[in-house]
Amino acid sequence: MDIEVAEERNEDVLVLLPVGRLDSGNARSFESVVMDHVSSGERRLVVDFSRLDFISSSGMRVLLIAAKALKAGEGTLVLCSMKNHIEEVFRISGFDRIIPIKDSRESALAASS
Amino acid sequence: MAMMDELHVSLSPRLSAVRSLAQMVEEFGDANKLPDQQIYMINLALDELITNTVSYGLRGVTRPRIEITLQVGETSLALTMEDNGQPFDPTANPDPDLSSAVDERPVGGLGLHLIKTFADRVNYEYVNGKNRLTLEHDLTPEAR
Repeated sequence: MDIEVAEERNEDVLVLLPVGRLDSGNARSFESVVMDHVSSGERRLVVDFSRLDFISSSGMRVLLIAAKALKAGEGTLVLCSMKNHIEEVFRISGFDRIIPIKDSRESALAASS
Repeated sequence: MAMMDELHVSLSPRLSAVRSLAQMVEEFGDANKLPDQQIYMINLALDELITNTVSYGLRGVTRPRIEITLQVGETSLALTMEDNGQPFDPTANPDPDLSSAVDERPVGGLGLHLIKTFADRVNYEYVNGKNRLTLEHDLTPEAR
């Protein structure tokens, strides 16, 4: 199952917007989208959650893999615009302590530069 | 007011079953006025549990079945999953280390940890050749 991911660029920051549901069924598809960008040299990624309704632990795992790969190459991953119930899960799992989460796209871009 | 509503779904174990089940859970949650957070946690648990069971527990089982029951009581919400796969106790899994830095963090083990963290009570038993896992979430009066 493929996931739809919209992409927008803001100078040297690439913004990815996964759409709908990111679960065990399409986490692999999301992983290849994200990791293709990392391997082709993108260093500053923002994942904007405003079009995402659901993320499972398999989707969160992809973000962790991307954060590790980017950190190894002196890059950054910033998340933004999460719905409250999703942000709560990131907080409880401790993800917010290892991957920065911002309220808006603007603050995510500011944190990436 | 005593209130008890139940959703029971018997699934043939396919990964694609997770999505149609998620839809049913959302409709059930809306009908019972459950908070979004609770519906989300139930669907997060189901995605994790069904994926694990279909990918590992039910491999090679002749007539594989998964039964899901969701019960709304006056003070709590209970999710029960039964399957006739290999005995597997998810409550016995070690918790991941969530305090470590990004580059040291293991990528697995997160889903079960979330399930255990969010549930107020977790019970596992293996009876009559079936795994039975029950997750109970307390409902606050405001939430009802």
